Amino acid sequence: MTTGQAQTDTELVTLTIDGREVQARKGELLIKVAQENGVYIPRFCWHERMEPVGMCRMCLVQVDGMRGFPPACTTPVAEGMVAHTDTEPVKKIQDGVLEFLLINHPLDCPVCDRGGECPLQDQTLAFGPGESRFTEEKRHFEKPIPLSGLVLLDRERCIQCGRCTRFAEEIAGDPLIDFGERSDRMQVVTFPDEPFSSYFSGNTVQICPVGALLSKPYRFKARPWDLSTSETTCTTCAVGCRGALQSSSNRLLRLLGVDLDAVNQGWLCDKGRYGYEWVHADERVLEPSVRVRNAMVDVSWPEALEAVANELQRAIELHGPSSVAVLGGARGSNEDAYAWVRLAKGVIGTDNVDAQLGDGLPADAVLGLPRAEIDDLDQAAAIVLLGPDLKEELPVLYLRVKQAAVSKKVPLLDLAPVDVGLTPYATAVSRTVPGEEGVAAERLVAAIGGRASGDAGIDAFAAAATGRSGPVVVVLGRGSVAQSAAPTMRAAAAFAALPNVRFLSALRRGNVHGALDLGLAPGFLPGRVTLDAGRGWFAPIWQTVPKERGLDAEGILRAAADGKVRVLVLLGADPVADFPDTDLARRAIDGAGYVVAVDAFLSESTRRADAFLPCTVWGEKAGTTTNLEGRVQRLGRKVSPEGTTMDDWRIAGELAVRLGNDFDLEFVDEVTDEIATVAPAHAGARSQLLRRSRDGVVLPVREHLHEIMVRTGDLNIMAEDGPAVSWDPIRVDAAEPSEEGDAAHEVDEARGEAERLEREAPAHHEWDRAANVGDAPGRDAYALRLVSGRELYDGGRITTCSPSLAPLRKDSALMVHPQDLARIGVEEGTQVRVTSSRATVTLPVRTHPSVPAGTARLPFTADGRGASELIDTTTMVTDLRVETIS
Amino acid sequence: MGRFSGFLVTARQMFKPRLTTEYPEQVREYPARRHGRHVLNRYEDGMEKCIGCELCAGICPARCIYVRGADNPPDDPVSPGERYGFVYEINYLRCIHCDLCVEACPTEAITETKLFEFSWNNRNDSIYTKDQLLVDDDGHPRKQPWEAWAPGQDENLSEWVRATSPSGMAEYEGRVSWSGDLGHGVRDPGPTQAELDGREEID
Ligand code: SF4
Ligand code: SF4
Ligand code: SF4
Ligand code: SF4
Ligand code: FES
Repeated sequence: MTTGQAQTDTELVTLTIDGREVQARKGELLIKVAQENGVYIPRFCWHERMEPVGMCRMCLVQVDGMRGFPPACTTPVAEGMVAHTDTEPVKKIQDGVLEFLLINHPLDCPVCDRGGECPLQDQTLAFGPGESRFTEEKRHFEKPIPLSGLVLLDRERCIQCGRCTRFAEEIAGDPLIDFGERSDRMQVVTFPDEPFSSYFSGNTVQICPVGALLSKPYRFKARPWDLSTSETTCTTCAVGCRGALQSSSNRLLRLLGVDLDAVNQGWLCDKGRYGYEWVHADERVLEPSVRVRNAMVDVSWPEALEAVANELQRAIELHGPSSVAVLGGARGSNEDAYAWVRLAKGVIGTDNVDAQLGDGLPADAVLGLPRAEIDDLDQAAAIVLLGPDLKEELPVLYLRVKQAAVSKKVPLLDLAPVDVGLTPYATAVSRTVPGEEGVAAERLVAAIGGRASGDAGIDAFAAAATGRSGPVVVVLGRGSVAQSAAPTMRAAAAFAALPNVRFLSALRRGNVHGALDLGLAPGFLPGRVTLDAGRGWFAPIWQTVPKERGLDAEGILRAAADGKVRVLVLLGADPVADFPDTDLARRAIDGAGYVVAVDAFLSESTRRADAFLPCTVWGEKAGTTTNLEGRVQRLGRKVSPEGTTMDDWRIAGELAVRLGNDFDLEFVDEVTDEIATVAPAHAGARSQLLRRSRDGVVLPVREHLHEIMVRTGDLNIMAEDGPAVSWDPIRVDAAEPSEEGDAAHEVDEARGEAERLEREAPAHHEWDRAANVGDAPGRDAYALRLVSGRELYDGGRITTCSPSLAPLRKDSALMVHPQDLARIGVEEGTQVRVTSSRATVTLPVRTHPSVPAGTARLPFTADGRGASELIDTTTMVTDLRVETIS
Repeated sequence: MGRFSGFLVTARQMFKPRLTTEYPEQVREYPARRHGRHVLNRYEDGMEKCIGCELCAGICPARCIYVRGADNPPDDPVSPGERYGFVYEINYLRCIHCDLCVEACPTEAITETKLFEFSWNNRNDSIYTKDQLLVDDDGHPRKQPWEAWAPGQDENLSEWVRATSPSGMAEYEGRVSWSGDLGHGVRDPGPTQAELDGREEID
């Protein structure tokens, strides 16, 4: 459960706190047991998700039979313990500690961003002396100094609790801040010339008990009493972290991490935390427009919809349904995805639909692989990482894997093509030639089966995993978008032979799993059923169902480039930037007959659109989203959209009406409910159930109903009376559904619905291991094999349109092994000519020992310096020639 | 008496001195603590006292103050310290002149004049912006065209005395805890509660 705390076991003990007898698990900390039983012991340094250190002395209590005043945050409960938290001596100590802390505290609360929700203010009011006797001059430091591009430090206000430094080291694994100097000069410092550039730095601001650490983007933007809050789910990546989204005057101003035990445990990454800024970017397109004689003209919604519907109608009539293709949909909500699938497959009748842009895994695998939940990591027998750098692409999943490997001591095998964020925590590392992942997987299967694999790392890992119970969790993804998914699928097929193996698909985009689950992929229909299996079920519900399996993103782009796509709908997709092969994407956009953009921004791809339908984005719309473990959670609508933007699902509905099919869906909840009645995997996930269930619902619903916890309160951010708690884990109180409560009724209803669909609807798709596999050709001795993955702050809109994140982008350079650099015969940092079968570009080259010899790493960015110009999707891998420019 | 009893009241009043004043030709003297429209004060050096902390906005029961803070430009600071009131607005169609804002202000930035005669022809004018609220270079309110100032209404702007005094002790009532700025004067606080009660004064 909680990070690394003193081991608790299930044995119950009885103790007395302030005269009241309570029961608790043996070994649990007194401060936590007291809080769970309604006794709040003041604290500063203790955080439930970190190791207790007993540094601040605020939580001192009296325990009968123990000498002195032990800190409640380091004292485990024991049978028969008698603790007092409100005796005169304890109160005197609390007064003293607070008075001492305030000696050097500037008390500039009116200009402090923490003022109004400050634990020091609140606890001083509740437990402090009331008057200060201190009249001397306080210490002075220069007011806030930047620790990084996102975090400011006001040293005068720091109370040296060590929460931030411990977080950086213990949780984030980026020990970039520490204490420097002594006594009243003691301060949090960064190392010389090295900013606190952790991807998780924003968390330190949230847990700092004073206003010492400040968010630069939020600085002076509002005071806590201005903010209104909605619970929501981050959709910046597919982890689906829980958050509390706050706004004032219709501007999003802050996202706080909410502690969802199963997912993010209170933490957020900085991209998710500060990425709300793009919602209000000036570049947002807010009015619909259509192309008239080569110029975009603003029109009314009815005109725009009419124009698009007419184009669709014409394409269907003249060239058949499959002349229409839909790309994207992985950034919206489940409701958006469903409505667009229903429009594309159920009204138009095309199956040329793909939510991924050639940079993920085949839908057949994602939807059929035996699935793991994120929580399985902690109890796993072993974890295998074959995929991208989680720290860059799915940051909070990186924290969870790291926690499993470090705190829970689960053996971790790193099979990524180059060193990744998790490499330092791996039990064993094995680097294979990119494209030959299948070989490594087979070795692992052999080693786990007790045979020597011929790879020392893999053997060592197998030895560490032997005898452990629990599933083997494989985090599976594309380690490099410069090679096709086939080698990864070959590896997955081999992994399937591992005992009790489960997969976490490391796909990146926010709701890509929701989109795939709901059929935004060729060959699938909503609810994880294949087109063939589901045709009979959906035909009577929808107007039509596609006759045959359609094309995936690559196929669609090729067809478009050949002029075979009459109408191409880009659902928030920018293939020119995101499809690995930029050249093909460009030709496809140019070759498509009519391009419809349903988007919030102009991009390389949507700039060429013939119709632009501006949609609402995260923070502006309600609905649900599905994370990488299949957990469906609700989105919070916190601000009203500007302009005349429309929800994507509504746009689909409006187009359907104009094509003669009325979805009859008025409210977003009705879409959620329709999904819950027609999509087999979602059967029962009604809006009412999702609203009541604290942790969302994991699909397929029927198998996870027993996990449902019913929320019994609201988000615990500002306590009604008593201290503000946003600096402690923010939670929602919940209980198991009770026998007679109405929640039990909802759960029963969900079960009924799920059982009905299980009887009547088609069975879920099962993974065909032989599908989509392949091996890369050998590499010749002079070539470097390209490995390309995303960086957290990439060229995507969330980064480029968020003023706080945009400056954090790094320059990209070709990274090679020192040995290879010597062979090329140039100095570090020189510009070199890089040639692939697709293009020749000029790039600076640098060395990094983390890149194996024979491999070259280049981040995937969309600004021309990245890998997308070089990658050739017609070949399985991309090999490069690197030459000096002479 | 019968039917004439009703006239008795009139007859009695006829010969008493008249209390009615011919407003607006004649203006009565106002109580020293009359609450009128606000001003935002400045220090002697011209710096604004408001730090944009929004405490006034937070306490206002009519929710009629809108404040937003911003970082002081380092080379040309608006107020001492890090933060200044970047936007400051009071909607006088809602203000009930309770002066809780004045009590909440940590820097004595906002105080009230005694002006109460102001009316507008459109609602936008009822929202006073920072430019209108800020005192001018001599510390006097900037008079708006629609305001009818009577003599003395713009004097002694710092005369507000906290009702909720330090530590909430009634003994502090009547103590000046305000500094005089820019020459508009501080009122004599009058007797404290202790003096009124005939008790020894505290400390
Ligand atoms: S900066 Fe905040 S979290 Fe860090 S030691 Fe100081 S008070 Fe604690
Ligand atoms: S890890 Fe992903 S879901 Fe979590 S905060 Fe970051 S971007 Fe959002
Ligand atoms: S006087 Fe009262 S109502 Fe008027 S602005 Fe101040 S707090 Fe609000
Ligand atoms: S007037 Fe006073 S209370 Fe209001 S924002 Fe300015 S400094 Fe703060
Ligand atoms: S010593 Fe226990 S909370 Fe700090």
